[in-house]
Amino acid sequence: MKNVDLLLPLSIIIPALAGIFILLSKKESQGFWKSFTYIGFGFPLFSAIVLYSQFDETIHYNFKMKFLTGLEDFGITLHLGLNGISMPLFLMAGIVGFASGIYALQAKAERIRLYLFLLLIMQSGLMGVFSSIDIFFFYFFHEFALIPTFVMIGIWGGVGSRSTAMEMAIYLTLGALASLVGLLVIYTNSGMINHSFDFIALSHHLSNTPLETVLQQNIYGILLFGFGILVSLFPFHSWAPKSYSAAPTAAAMLHAGVLKKFGLYGIIQLISPLLPEGAAHWATILGWLALGNIVVIGLATISQTDLKQMVSYSSVMHMGYAFLGIASLNSIGTGGAVMLMFGHGLSVALLFLLTTCIYHRTDTFDMADMGGLASKAPVLSAFFITATMAGIGLPGFANFWGEFAVFIGIWGNESIQWMLYPAALGIVISAIYGLRAVAKVFYGQPSVNFQKHMEANTVRDLTTSEKIPALILIFSLLLAGFYPGFVSNLINRDIDGFKPDKIVEGIEQPATSIYLSHMESKNGQ
Amino acid sequence: MYTESTLLLGVLLTPLISAVVIALFLRKQGDIAAYLSCFSALAIACLSIQLFSIIPTGQEIYITIFKDYFQMGTFSFDLGFLINPDTLTLLFVVSFVGFWIHIFSLGYMRTDDGKARYFGGLSVFMFSMLGIVIADNLIMIFIFWELVGFSSYALISHYFKTEKAANASKKAFIVNRVGDLGFLIGIVITYWQFGTSNLLELQSIIGLEPSSTNWIIAALLMCGFIGKSAQFPLHVWLPDAMAGPTPVSALIHAATMVAAGIFFLIRIEFLFTPDVLNVIAWMGTLMAAYGGLCAITQSDIKKILAYSTLSQLGYMAAAFGLGYPGLALFHLATHAFFKGLLFLGSASVIHGCHHEQDIFKMGGLAKKMPFTTVTFAIGIAALAGVNYLSGYYSKDSILVAAYAEHTMIFWILMGSALVTAFYMGRLFWIAFFGSPKSKNAKNAKESPFVMILPLLVLSILALFGGKVAMWPENLSMSFLSDYRLINGLSDSILEDAYHQGHTLLKSIGTLAWIFGILGSLFFYGLGSKNDNLGIRMPSLFRFLDSKLLIDEFYLWYVKKVQQKLADFIHLMDLLLIGGLCVRGTAGFIGLLGYISRALHTGSIGAYVFWFASGLLLFWAYAIGIFS
Repeated sequence: MKNVDLLLPLSIIIPALAGIFILLSKKESQGFWKSFTYIGFGFPLFSAIVLYSQFDETIHYNFKMKFLTGLEDFGITLHLGLNGISMPLFLMAGIVGFASGIYALQAKAERIRLYLFLLLIMQSGLMGVFSSIDIFFFYFFHEFALIPTFVMIGIWGGVGSRSTAMEMAIYLTLGALASLVGLLVIYTNSGMINHSFDFIALSHHLSNTPLETVLQQNIYGILLFGFGILVSLFPFHSWAPKSYSAAPTAAAMLHAGVLKKFGLYGIIQLISPLLPEGAAHWATILGWLALGNIVVIGLATISQTDLKQMVSYSSVMHMGYAFLGIASLNSIGTGGAVMLMFGHGLSVALLFLLTTCIYHRTDTFDMADMGGLASKAPVLSAFFITATMAGIGLPGFANFWGEFAVFIGIWGNESIQWMLYPAALGIVISAIYGLRAVAKVFYGQPSVNFQKHMEANTVRDLTTSEKIPALILIFSLLLAGFYPGFVSNLINRDIDGFKPDKIVEGIEQPATSIYLSHMESKNGQ
Repeated sequence: MYTESTLLLGVLLTPLISAVVIALFLRKQGDIAAYLSCFSALAIACLSIQLFSIIPTGQEIYITIFKDYFQMGTFSFDLGFLINPDTLTLLFVVSFVGFWIHIFSLGYMRTDDGKARYFGGLSVFMFSMLGIVIADNLIMIFIFWELVGFSSYALISHYFKTEKAANASKKAFIVNRVGDLGFLIGIVITYWQFGTSNLLELQSIIGLEPSSTNWIIAALLMCGFIGKSAQFPLHVWLPDAMAGPTPVSALIHAATMVAAGIFFLIRIEFLFTPDVLNVIAWMGTLMAAYGGLCAITQSDIKKILAYSTLSQLGYMAAAFGLGYPGLALFHLATHAFFKGLLFLGSASVIHGCHHEQDIFKMGGLAKKMPFTTVTFAIGIAALAGVNYLSGYYSKDSILVAAYAEHTMIFWILMGSALVTAFYMGRLFWIAFFGSPKSKNAKNAKESPFVMILPLLVLSILALFGGKVAMWPENLSMSFLSDYRLINGLSDSILEDAYHQGHTLLKSIGTLAWIFGILGSLFFYGLGSKNDNLGIRMPSLFRFLDSKLLIDEFYLWYVKKVQQKLADFIHLMDLLLIGGLCVRGTAGFIGLLGYISRALHTGSIGAYVFWFASGLLLFWAYAIGIFS
């Protein structure tokens, strides 16, 4: 164990501890809880950057650490570590968390310390989700991060937020429950002598003695349902637009940006490798549902008149690409989905942040009541255009590589090849709603209501404390956009299943991922 | 190899650095930003000239600068440059014309508030455009392709306060994306079909096995060209794009970006099948006629030039489709000279007339703006194909090629040449002669030297750019063989056809421009106040002015079909999925709870009743009533 490995557990504990300190602090001692906020959000980002730089490409799981929990009889240990798929997402969680944290500090919410506490608990859970090798804790940390979201929507949400929070809580708990059932079925049926939740042990065991085909298919179905709800897969998406519109900005950034990726991450990292037959069985249906996300929700996004609703719908729409990448059943599409998760997390967080900045200047989310904001707030307008362009997959931003790899991947799977045509329609649909919003909010002349608002209030450009979190997100998007290898090399290393000799000998092995070998064996029959 | 790759990287990164510096530090220092951007354009021009001097004639150079730039599973692609005579020709056009348009902008945008934004946008554009020119694979071309689309969007929306610019920029981007949709799918299929997106590799694979390409791939990739080069049915964005600053129209929407579509076709010529080439030839021919006819009824000086650009792009597409990519490239280059000149001339006019764009409100500019008038006249002459000017050589070569390949196409293109001379003559006689018809035109004054100089330089090119011998040999290689073939300068089977038809063709071409320019003089007269066509033949005028109602059709589609469908889907999403399924399920469970709660009334009588009925049911079951 190296010292640097300690950063991993610390990045989970420190935000939670900082949160508790903030809750216990006095309201007057601003310096105290402010500095703890910086520590609580800054530390995970710092450790993510250090861990990224220390990542050893020749080792499968880096920074591995085991903690005894007293639940060893059930095969539960707190087993932490990062591989090429979780490392980028861990980093993304650090970046988005830091941006939302420092944005929350200046947001001046009521009961600010409770607000920061809940946010830090979320952050702690998020760092745990992506660093858990143990499936039990993977699930545990997700719930840990999810519950503060409900509370935050309930307390700080807008009108009718109680019932929204309730609906979201019930719906997402249903999803979480279904995925728990699925995970437990894998656990009980794995056929291991000592039952274990440890993913590495499970995958070793199941790759030698896979589960029965029918069982795989059934478990995968349950998990797809459960994870699908959590990721707002069509038609299980109804909770998302409502909740995000009601959620306070920082919570929406963290949930839409990071927490929502839990389901996709679960499918790509855990479920598909464990249940390859199940993945193959459900691919076509998943493809159809993903098209629902892209085309149906895409069109519904065009119909939005409320800016925040539009951003929420667009985030649901883009999940369709990620699911299509998974449905492609090849490493190109699946890797593209991970790349897209990275980019989308950053870009949607940026959009939610800027949407709230617009709200603070216009006092409304209704796009018809805005207009001409660019002359008053040029920096805000430039940032929003940047965020829109990143979201709609312009080259130069991380999202482009994700979408592009997904498109390539789709054509590689002959049974869903045709889906490329409707899926690619998404690039036009997203351009339509994105640019319409830009034109309505920033270009042209101010609407009558906005004119009145401007006469009564001074409309300023972005303040420094709003600029900094936005710049962090933009910089990360551009970095991964101009140098995709920054993220894709890690993903690529693990997406086929890690093969140490590939790196050591420097020889490209023929692609024999679990997917591919499965597909080959099917074709051979 | 080392020096070439350094030079190419320099060419590509200089504008990017300039754009980044402007965006980060010079947002409020418009003047410095302007000089920086111009300086970077100058540096690009110098580096390009250096590059021309070291690359031997006819050599094809490919350099991989970043292996496995993006890799995912079995898919990977490299960044690289592919330099051949085509590249060099377009590199010259972009860097040289681009530089002079930068200089011109110094004068034109001198008092503009968004100067830094404007020049930053120009630098982004130069970066993306040069990327398209030197890229060596389809994916890289697509990346820069999208980026030019973005910079075009940003520059069209420069005057974002006007509703016109807001809508035009949006329209340009979305329409381009429709084209890119096909382009993207085409790239994906090409990749899976051939296992690569590298142009040279593709060329050698198809060279070995010509049957490996098919019309689907060609047609999909062609979509990119249709969007970017504004061909039917995606041409609607270009006239609207005139809402941007006029130098931008000169650079992006006339000389370079829209021509990038043609360049792209030339780059991937080997992928095309005869039937798709035929489609392109006809599409171009019809666009040449359509654009010209639409230009006749326009009164906005920029819109006339925009429709003229559509028409000239049609000529290039026709030349490509007929199997003469060299002639398409040649016309692309000369068109960049004279159309760049014309747009800058119109910018000078608009600048001089205090942003008046209606030609019927101008008049008498010849006296007030002598330099602009002379250079504009040169541009018109070159465009109309006046003998021995640049447009004459390139356009007449295309006409000869059309004559050799397809008579019908030839006559349509020849008719369009007449129309070209006619609408340009109309513009010239009305705007520059007679008496001023508005206060703005009365107060017009000649533009400053910084704007006149680019006009002079470009008019020299418009005058002499068509002389093949004037071109450096390693550039002219790109079109020389097609040009020689068509003009009977090389031994070929076409030589006889050439000698028979050439004198006749030349005479017809000459007659076309004479009739066009003089006809417009007789028809409209000098500096007329009203559109004589509208007065004398109102029905014809209305027909031409309707432009086949294509814009109206799209507007109807967006408003009545797309929006209605989106609203309907949104409603269904709320009602069926969000309401019936989600709320319905919740309601059903709530109902169950309500019913079971009703059973627990708390009164002994009710419990006795339920107990008794349960007993009855049990008894009934026991004696076998249900079985």
